[in-house]
Formats: sequence, structure tokens, C-alpha cells
Amino acid sequence: MARSKSPDPPADLLGPVTGEVSWFCCGTAWGPCSSTGKGACGTCNSGSLQHAWPNTSDACWSITRPDRCGVGLSRRTCGFRHRTTALCGGASVVTTIADCGPQTDLFCGERSCCGATCADNRLIDLTPAAFSRIASLSAGLRPCEIATG
Amino acid sequence: MHGIAASQPYVLAFFLGWAGLLKLFSRRTRAQAGQTALARLVGAARAVPALVAVGLVEVAVAAALVLPPYSAAEGAAAAVLAAGFLAYLGYAHVAAPTSSCGCLGAHSRPADRRGFGRAGLLLAAGLLSMTAGPHPPVAALVVVEVVILLALSAELDRYWLTPSRRFLVRMRGPLSVPPPGDVPLETSLRLLYLSPAYCSASSRLSSDIRETWDEDGTRFVVYGAGARTAVFAVPLTGDDPSAVRVALVEEPAPA
Amino acid sequence: MTSRRDLLKSAVLGGGATVVAATALGSLGPEAAFAETAYDAEPGAPDPDFAEGRIRTIKDDTLLVLGSNMVFHTIRIVNGTSLWKLGPVPFEAAKPGDGLYARGVRMPDGMLAAESVWLNIVNIKGHIKNITDGKLHLDHHGKEVLCHVVPGKSVAIQAQAPPTADLSMLKVSQHVQILGAWRPDTNEVDIATVFSPH
Repeated sequence: MARSKSPDPPADLLGPVTGEVSWFCCGTAWGPCSSTGKGACGTCNSGSLQHAWPNTSDACWSITRPDRCGVGLSRRTCGFRHRTTALCGGASVVTTIADCGPQTDLFCGERSCCGATCADNRLIDLTPAAFSRIASLSAGLRPCEIATG
Repeated sequence: MHGIAASQPYVLAFFLGWAGLLKLFSRRTRAQAGQTALARLVGAARAVPALVAVGLVEVAVAAALVLPPYSAAEGAAAAVLAAGFLAYLGYAHVAAPTSSCGCLGAHSRPADRRGFGRAGLLLAAGLLSMTAGPHPPVAALVVVEVVILLALSAELDRYWLTPSRRFLVRMRGPLSVPPPGDVPLETSLRLLYLSPAYCSASSRLSSDIRETWDEDGTRFVVYGAGARTAVFAVPLTGDDPSAVRVALVEEPAPA
Repeated sequence: MTSRRDLLKSAVLGGGATVVAATALGSLGPEAAFAETAYDAEPGAPDPDFAEGRIRTIKDDTLLVLGSNMVFHTIRIVNGTSLWKLGPVPFEAAKPGDGLYARGVRMPDGMLAAESVWLNIVNIKGHIKNITDGKLHLDHHGKEVLCHVVPGKSVAIQAQAPPTADLSMLKVSQHVQILGAWRPDTNEVDIATVFSPH
């Protein structure tokens, strides 16, 4: 399958990247999560400190396409650790990759701010356990910085 | 009855021919083959060859159906193909419930009731066509059946269903503007999240909102902050985040 | 209650600030604050201070919750625990059958002393299939989720615009994220916030 090249080099190789962080449920749980399953890695659970990353494989990249928003991200596979830090307040959490996502291209250009600090584009989705360590679940979407954990 | 049966080869030929040609010549369809349930069935590397093979069979059966002379074997071949589609959809529903079927062009939606309905209708048409004799088809019936099959094709929704729904929404305004009333809490919270006050205090917050009330044009929002309480004052009018104020108060948690 | 609110009100309007000074709480900043809550959970592993599941029974101030991994959690609602169900709610709003996420402090006896409990909260993404009277029909992973607009509570955030209670800008086939409260044992959700990128 032809895969368009991401902007070169991936931004996250040069240092931490900023983007938006949201949360998603996984594991066969209650509500609309009942059909979600255990994610692309087969290990995802809402109660575990895990995340979804947009570039876990060619097939994953072809769905999420951060390059369409001008963002290059490195290929990182199941179990890789990232540290996500809330730009608002500085709380951080280290999580491992358990799924493919978010679909960055569907929210291209979206921006979240905290005070004067803003971040563009959805680059990472945390499980509820992880997100609630750095922000309230009811906030839904926050600006963050992502580094290797 | 004879006319009904005699119409089916044309319906089947139209549909199979179209589906086959899309699989053979649509680059987009082949590009998305890796995301279909077919890729799960035969492996990602073989998804495109498998798609092309299915397309060739569909085109061959469609051609046989419309080219004279007609034989019941051609109807039987179409019925077998339709039964195969139905079995494939069943497999996709169980084994790859989030994958698209890749049946008729590229789209990202998994097989649903309409997909099963379409495959069932094709199977019925295939079985009926086995009984077709040398009778003329009923043109109106062919058109109606084709229209029903098209309507059951989620792949085509963007051409007719989505625009018609958009038109109806524009006409009817089902989410029309609410009467001006209280400011929703979420509106105040979004202003709060943007504020320097929240940004400076958020690392201290240990709970979500404990309590909120409105007084004198201000919305007060209370969070837990460890053993303390964080209280924010958010103006109910205006959208200036710097107007939000915060205090950290030594006081016991609310009773 | 009134006197307590008066106290909080006078604190924030009288002596409150538009930012909290880094030293206001006797520390130097966020780093110091987080050093207090030492990281004790292994990345990738279940978070011991978090619980997920559905409420089986409620007794006094304790929720018995069955996790989707079939592990039972006992969650104690303490003074100052925040509860969310489409917004802040009192403890009485928690019902058996509700789904929940809870964060707090795990006690030596295994009980979770909750700081925050979110009841039925969902955060789902999908395409708007259709819009009917006060409802968005969301295609979420191929399944329809019926999302109800709740007057006075639901807002939409479109691009950089401030949130609005007027959701009429939403369009069929648009991709959105919906934060809301699930109605237990249905495919229906009450909308808190719709995030729409365009």
C-alpha cells in the first residue's frame, strides 16, 4: 500500500512535542465501550496507565494520518513509553502504547489552550486512568507535551 | 411470475458488473483493501489480489448473465456468489466487526443490517433467476430492484442520504437556538480552563468540581486541593479568561 | 451552608488572585507538588488509585463496584469527594447500574477513598449520521449512539469559538467528539460538550 511520507524528520525525534490530549475507553467495559475491545495491541484497559499513539504501524498511520496536519511522528510500537505532561499545571504521567489513535487528521488544526499556552492537533489519547492523573475526565481535552518516557 | 424470474438476471448483472468493475478499476477501492474484512480473511498482503479475483468473477458472471443464451447455470453461479457474500459478511461481522466489507467501493463503515439485506436480496434474486425461462423481463421491476439495492448500499450514502439529511436539517432546524436562560456550567468551565487562574492552581487540584453556585453575576466553582479548598470566581458574562479569580482556602471539606 | 459559601466567596472576591503564587502553599511550584505524590504505578499496569466498573450496590457511603475485568472495588465516598453525572451532583445521584471511573487513594484494606467519581462519563468520537429533534445520531465504530441535547447543560465548542448552547451549527457527516453521560443499559448519551474541529 502506498504510504505518504510524514514530514521529515518526525517532530518527536527532536524533542518533546506539544499537542492535544484526550481520553478513550478500552477493554470490554460498560456503555459505548462495550464493543471497543482491547485495542490494537490486545492489552488495552481503561484502568491501566496506557495510551493510543497515531503511528504504531503502516495500517495505523493510514487511518490516523497526522502528516495531513503537518505533523510527523515516529513509528513506535506496543509497549513503548511516553510521558504526557499537562501544559496546564505540569502534572505528568508515563504510559505505554496499547492502541492506535487518535484520528489526528479528522481534527486537523484544532487548538486547546491553558492560559496563554496553546497546543494544536490531537496527538495522543490516554486511558481514563492515565488522563485522570493529569486532568479531570470531565475536561475531555487538554493541551499537553509528549516526550519519551 | 415468469416475468419476475426473467428480470433477475438483469438486476444481478447490473449489480455484479458494477461491483466487479469497481474492484478492478477503482484505485481508491484497492488502496483501502487492507482495511477490509477481506484482509483479515486472506491476510493483508493478499487482500488486493483477492479483491481483483473476486472482481473478475463478478464481471464474468455479470457478462454471462446478460449475454444470450441464458441458462439456469448462470443464475446458479450468481446465487452461489450471493451466498458467498452473505457468508463473508457473517464472517466479517464476527471476526472483524470494525472493518468495512469492501463490497462496493471504498468506505470505512463496517457491515451492518443494510449490507446483510442487500446480500440477502441478491441471493433471492439469484435463486429466482435459476427458474427464469425464455420470457421478457419486466423493466419497471428491474428498475425498482436496482433502486432498492442502491438504497441498501451504505457506500453510496454520501451521494444521496447525507445530502438529503443535511437538507432536511437545514429546513427543519432540529437543534434550533434555545431560549436565552441560565449560562450552562460547561460554558463557565471552558472559560475557567483557559484562565491563568486555573492554570496556576490546577496542579493543586485533587478532585473534580465539588460544588458550584451563582451569585451577583459570578459563578463560584469549588474544587478540592489536597487538605485545602480551591474556589474560583468566573464571571457569568464576558469571555475574558483573565477575569477569573482564584483563592486557596484553609477550610474543612463540605459536610 | 450559606456561611460556608460566604466564607469562600469573600476569600475569592476579597483576597483572591488571578493566579496562585508558586509559594502560596509553601512550595516552589508544580514540580515540588508532584514530588509529594510519588509515582507508584508501573506504566502499562493497572493504576492502584483508580477504579472502573459498574455500581452493584450502595450501602451508606460505600459503593460496591464490579470492574469490567471482574474485580470488585469498594469505593468510599468521603467528605469532599466530587461526583460528576453530566455535571457536579450529590451522592444521592449515584444509582446501582451506573458505570463509573473513580480516582482516590487506595487504603491498606483495599478500599479506595475517592477524591473524584465520574458516573457514566463517556468521551466518544464519531460521525454525525443524522440530526433529529434535539438528538444527534452518532456513528461510533459502526454503531449508532443516540446523543441527546440537554437544554441548559449541553454546549458545543467549534474550532476556536467560545462554547455555545446553540448547537445548530452541527452538520450531518461532520466528525465530532462528544463528552457526556451514558444512560445505563442503552445506546443513549446525554451531551455535556460537543467538540467540533471545523
